[in-house]
Amino acid sequence: MAFVDVRGLFHRYPGSPVHSLSDVSFQVQPGEYLAVLGANGSGKSTLVRCLDGLAEIESGTVLVGGLDPMNAEQLADLRSRVGLVFQSPADQLVASVVEEDCAFGPENLGLPREEIARRVASALEAAGLQAERSRPAWALSAGQQQRLAVAGALALEPELLLLDEATAMIDPPGRTGFLDLIGRLNSDGTTVIHVTHSMEEVLRAGRALVLHEGRLVFDGTPADLFERPGLESWSLSRPASLEAARRVRFAFPGFRPAGHAPEDFRDELSRLARASGKVPASPRTDVSLPAPAVSVDPPREDDALVLDKVAHEYLGGTELSRLALDGVSLRVGKGELVALVGATGSGKSSALQHGNALLAPSSGSARVLGLDPAAKGVDLKALRSRAALAVQRPETALFETCVGDDVAFGPRNQGLRGRALVERVRSAMARVNLPYADFRDRPVRALSGGEKRRAAMAGVLALDPELLLLDEPCAGLDPAGRESALALQAALSSDGRTVAVSTHSMEDATRADRVYVLERGRVVAEGSSAEVFLGTEPPPGLERPWAAEASVLMWRAGLTDAPTALDAAALADEALAVLGVAPPGGVPRGGLEAAP
Amino acid sequence: MKDLEFFRNATLGQYVDSHSRVHALAPLTKYLGLFALAAPALASRPAYAALAVMALGLLVALAAKVRPAFLLRGLKPALPALALIMALQVLLSWPGDESAVLLRLGPIDVTLAELANSARIAARLAALMVTLGLFTATASESQIVHGIEDILSPLSRLGIPAHRLALVVGIAFRFIPILAGEAELIVKAQASRGADFGSGTRNPVRRVKAWLPVLVPLMLRALERSESLVEAMEARGYSGGLRSRLASYPVGSGEKALRAGLVLFAVVSVILVSRAPSPFGTWL
Repeated sequence: MAFVDVRGLFHRYPGSPVHSLSDVSFQVQPGEYLAVLGANGSGKSTLVRCLDGLAEIESGTVLVGGLDPMNAEQLADLRSRVGLVFQSPADQLVASVVEEDCAFGPENLGLPREEIARRVASALEAAGLQAERSRPAWALSAGQQQRLAVAGALALEPELLLLDEATAMIDPPGRTGFLDLIGRLNSDGTTVIHVTHSMEEVLRAGRALVLHEGRLVFDGTPADLFERPGLESWSLSRPASLEAARRVRFAFPGFRPAGHAPEDFRDELSRLARASGKVPASPRTDVSLPAPAVSVDPPREDDALVLDKVAHEYLGGTELSRLALDGVSLRVGKGELVALVGATGSGKSSALQHGNALLAPSSGSARVLGLDPAAKGVDLKALRSRAALAVQRPETALFETCVGDDVAFGPRNQGLRGRALVERVRSAMARVNLPYADFRDRPVRALSGGEKRRAAMAGVLALDPELLLLDEPCAGLDPAGRESALALQAALSSDGRTVAVSTHSMEDATRADRVYVLERGRVVAEGSSAEVFLGTEPPPGLERPWAAEASVLMWRAGLTDAPTALDAAALADEALAVLGVAPPGGVPRGGLEAAP
Repeated sequence: MKDLEFFRNATLGQYVDSHSRVHALAPLTKYLGLFALAAPALASRPAYAALAVMALGLLVALAAKVRPAFLLRGLKPALPALALIMALQVLLSWPGDESAVLLRLGPIDVTLAELANSARIAARLAALMVTLGLFTATASESQIVHGIEDILSPLSRLGIPAHRLALVVGIAFRFIPILAGEAELIVKAQASRGADFGSGTRNPVRRVKAWLPVLVPLMLRALERSESLVEAMEARGYSGGLRSRLASYPVGSGEKALRAGLVLFAVVSVILVSRAPSPFGTWL
């Protein structure tokens, strides 16, 4: 019997004219690992909430373990069998100490103390957090906090784990640890329903559902999903592993890697190269790449931003003092697009905030657009509108009722009035694809999550800055939103504006002219994206983009003379060259398989 | 730009985990300690008595391995309020004030009584803040919550929901750093759009106007985050009904004696400080 049974489910938020879920039906068997995908606002989170009785069902039936979440008497029992992990790590901590937070669920069940202690110990053990049991929960990293949220769910000994974009706010190392934990739990028999924007994560699931505007439009295996045409119209994209394989297959039909790892791609390539008589050279013996470079070129007079041995101590002189930057030297040349990458807490945000003088160096010096913000007589307000910062989740700072007014806040502070102000707002809104005529009087709270992000970006662009500092502009966006944010960066850069952007995503970093890798407040690697990801060994803890890793592996196996590919398209060309096939002129369209 | 660091002087409410013997006490004992210092601080008549209580608090802080300077820095944010109180004391005169006039500035008389009153209020407030700071430095959030639960649990038979009240306090504590963090992000976002923060303006109208774009989104975020927390709690089976607790605080005979001692100290010290002789005569 299905553990989750959803039939004809409709849901509508109070006051909304449209259904957020329309006629959704599916069943999940015990032990399945199900991924749920869809654009921002497609109804994924609502679906999860309907399963746990947090959202009201308009019509249809939902049964979880045979229990009805809309039945108040069955709900408590249902919730004791279902664990739910949300997106924001900090928002789901209830108690201040790790083990007490983990105990919250069993305490609510009224279990005896000894039983709670036993469950907490085994849940923390499973989540790899035994060593942290008496630490304050807020002192954990975001990845650890998210594993604590899983531990809190595990303490209920649930049969079903619901993950609502639970990896969206943790960095790549934290994410891998988190997903491995989920994989172990699933192989021990826990049913998993995982809502995600990450196409790579979908590959871990046995089955995928796609929601589009509240309707279930796909239910099948991830492999079938990514072969389908029209993924883009659902705001989805293909993982690099599948995209590269598809492109190769288009010109060389037999190419079918056994799995999704870069090693699988290399193995399939060397198998086919051998079979087609192109004897590959023996694997290289000189396989090590040089250590990452950290020597920064001397600053130039016209550099937009120069940090020279900048240290920043947050809350210096207090009990909570923390060294956010520890001697960072970096330069962002005029017109460059520079990416700062690194784990949470590595100092990316702090470095950007020195770029518009929101932070002042505790030691060392900063130069922004040729000015020293610490010098007497520098107008910081004017400087900040020339070097504009979009903070993380900038949409949280929207405050006016109407979109147009909010976008106008910055230029109004600059003293713009009348026609000039309207023009500035109009062009900023056009840049982020929110047409002025349609969106000017739209209430901010009626915007979708992705539209709010774009409105907030428009508010920064409306300052018409020379230097743009973007802190995690793609965080939490669906693939289509992410693609348009990356396109915006590129467009700003080709306008001659200088852009410095921080990101968790190595894929996003490959789009930059130059990359700085930060770790614990220090620069540990610097160079063009090709130098950092292909020319040197990555610093510890940093994973290459998938395509770059495959490219390096192919070079190590002696298949190519040098690693050159940073994205799936380039990797496919590289592989076809190995196979002696000319890359096709066109790009394969979704679902299209080349004739054998 | 230090004004953008919202945690800087908020030492009141900060737990300092120094693993001292004071930290190891049960929450209820710490509440008694708070009471034993706060009661005489409030009851003290002359300023020096309150200062003596404060000094005692700082001594306990040393025993708890909490730096006295840390507690004293917590007084800084209260200075403007204190200045206002003292100004009112001096500007408005007490009926029947016959103490010596020390200074005459036009229509304003600065009398000995006004000065002594100001000193007493300042000393009481300082002693109270040091005591509270000491309490929060030695009692973690969860202990504060559990302490409330333990104090109120005898009343739960009368229908008073001890756990729910304790949870309200716990969540209030949790939201202090959350809101400070949100406020910092929003302030930085608006400052980046040309709002008047950290740019050193002293014009009060501009300063107040600059806060509106912060307060509106901050309220929204507070609501959003509390909604998330409610969902997280409900998903883990919270219903406000009967529940059990993992944490327990076994109390030895030594600690029981300490509790009795603290109650005794509170009574005796209140009597002493409220009758302590004033150096400025009966008025004070």
